[in-house]
Amino acid sequence: MDDFEFRKRGLANPNDSSDDFRSAAAADPQRAQWLQDLQALDARVHAAALSIEVPAGLAERLKAHASEQSAPAATGASVSALPMRSRYQRYYAMAASLVITLGVIMSSGLWTPRPSAADIKFHDDIIGHMYRETPRIENATADLSMEEINQVIEAAGGHLRDDERIKSAHIKFANDCNVVPSIKGAHIVLEGTKGSVSVIMIHNSPVSTEFDVNDPRFQGKIIPFGQGNLVILGEKEESLESYETLITETFEWVI
Amino acid sequence: MSDTPVLDDRRKKERYEALVDALYQDVYRYAYWICKNSALAEDLVQETFLRAWRSLDSLQNDKAAKAWLFTILRRENARLYERYRPELVDIEDQSIADSDENEPDQRMDRRLLHEAIGKLEKDYRDPLMLQVIGGFSGKEIAEILELNNNTVMTRLFRARGKLRQAFFPDSELTDDFSGDDTFDEQS
Repeated sequence: MDDFEFRKRGLANPNDSSDDFRSAAAADPQRAQWLQDLQALDARVHAAALSIEVPAGLAERLKAHASEQSAPAATGASVSALPMRSRYQRYYAMAASLVITLGVIMSSGLWTPRPSAADIKFHDDIIGHMYRETPRIENATADLSMEEINQVIEAAGGHLRDDERIKSAHIKFANDCNVVPSIKGAHIVLEGTKGSVSVIMIHNSPVSTEFDVNDPRFQGKIIPFGQGNLVILGEKEESLESYETLITETFEWVI
Repeated sequence: MSDTPVLDDRRKKERYEALVDALYQDVYRYAYWICKNSALAEDLVQETFLRAWRSLDSLQNDKAAKAWLFTILRRENARLYERYRPELVDIEDQSIADSDENEPDQRMDRRLLHEAIGKLEKDYRDPLMLQVIGGFSGKEIAEILELNNNTVMTRLFRARGKLRQAFFPDSELTDDFSGDDTFDEQS
């Protein structure tokens, strides 16, 4: 077995126990060491993959399915054997309960709309854009003028009002962005206290609800704003409220 | 003489509960690595076991239960989520079990590994997780993914190659097998 064959089989399965693979490893100390290192990495991968926390009480909830589904059998009838009318009545009763419950929740102000699939796609595109732009942003050192910043923002259909707070902020990066391929957006970056704070303005369909970004590195919000969206993102440790206030109070769409 | 419906149902329930106890953790973790989101993963597991309960009679051999459940889960994911929602780019930090037994270095190592696994393309991560979490052989993975064995072996090889590159970018251990025909792949 040549080295190429040995390594490709090792990478496909570091715990390959077939005789020819084990003999090939035993015959050459370098191969044995390579395999040992690979097995060590694999053990770490294994531990990491299995370290996902399983929600408490999940087994009980799954078993409850069976209890709920098999309950009619206690009277000697299976679910499918129930008379159709009875099954429909149950569905209507469930639907009615649902409508009433939703009505109570919505009228009580407890209703928080969830982002739609399109909103989540937009979120994922934003995060992908952030990771692609991060090297450029981290190297940015400019202190841009209002004219330079507004040139980029106006190309995206927006405008930053002349405001002392904006003027005193250190805006080190302003560029167009193509998060939504057919719509030119603007991406400006302010110097925050814990790193860069990105603001992205895109004149696309507003998301259905304001929602937080879900990412291991960045925190922030996607905010429906007029006929478009504002996205504010920073490092996890950054306090973003003041930036959100600053941008929402000084930015406007002009198209 | 055949058993009564009540007895049949009790046996079915016992069989189902044994299946849940034995496999729910692996099924959840695999679901998590498919969708990289704990809420979606739990929904997927619920749907998977609901379907499993309904068609439990079609499972002839309990030894095949894990592959059967993983296959149901993959189909449920495709049916419910995959076509409506692009894959999440990153995993959630809070999903990593934060055991007191783990040292900070160990926790950091897991976090980095989670990121590295999460960043693997789905085609590579999927067979790797089936091998690592499911303990399936190349042939079994090929059946679950409906691919041929060589394709699976190539994807496993590349998945580990990418992880090695992520962790040992400058090491002499880094392999450069960039050819497409590593295991005579046929899609």
